[in-house]
Amino acid sequence: MNGLDATFTALADPTRRAIVARLAQGDATVNELAAPFDMSLPAISKHLKVLERSGLISRSRHAQFRPCHLEREALDAAAGWIEENRRTWAERFDKLDEHLRQIQRGPAGDEERKDR
Amino acid sequence: MRDHRPGADELIFTRVVEAPRELVFRCMTEPEHLTHFWGPAGVSAPLDQITVDARPGGVFETVMVSDADGSEYRTRVIYDEVVAPDRLAWTDPDTGMTTTSTFTDLGGNRTEIRIHQAKVPEPFRSPQAQAGFLTSLDCFAAYLGQLPGR
Repeated sequence: MNGLDATFTALADPTRRAIVARLAQGDATVNELAAPFDMSLPAISKHLKVLERSGLISRSRHAQFRPCHLEREALDAAAGWIEENRRTWAERFDKLDEHLRQIQRGPAGDEERKDR
Repeated sequence: MRDHRPGADELIFTRVVEAPRELVFRCMTEPEHLTHFWGPAGVSAPLDQITVDARPGGVFETVMVSDADGSEYRTRVIYDEVVAPDRLAWTDPDTGMTTTSTFTDLGGNRTEIRIHQAKVPEPFRSPQAQAGFLTSLDCFAAYLGQLPGR
């Protein structure tokens, strides 16, 4: 499973986001990743498995300490999609805002209210 | 960390506009209004290609046309709820994605529009679908978001 659904699920958790943020600075072992958290190694390993299944991180199959590696393309795909959507709605409502202004202004602005 | 963050498959977008919500609701459901704003920047939504059958089970169809190269993207969703002037909900039958628009009267001629999308990840389950959808987003537009829990 490598779709954005898995990516979103993986990023929905604050601990996993923190792990991703740490890995953005460079590869790290499970022990290094666990250090900032008040969590057992098995708990951290569970988070890493979710991240690995989502495609956000990879782990060497052979290295003794199996350092974790951030897959930036997977992260960019999720961030890009979210950003694209945010931008689309923002631009759509910018236009709506302008449209509402125009139709409420009335023809040639000659309907100024002087009743207050 | 906020407690009430959207779920992993949800996206939420809000915007406040200066207009009574009855008018905002009409803008979201009448082709004559939609054509003015439904396409994002650089994209138009021709009036003659907008279909609105605003009732549960009715069709909401639009065609987005890129100003730059004329490429088109058609989207067709089905209304689940049409409750003027409070709420509008539809489902994209191709993806299962749902979009709920809620309109709140803030007083003083101001209305908050809240777009809530759920089941967002559905169309992205294969890398191929992902690529196709990302491309179409250049013209299409129905979603907005924030990172869950940000």
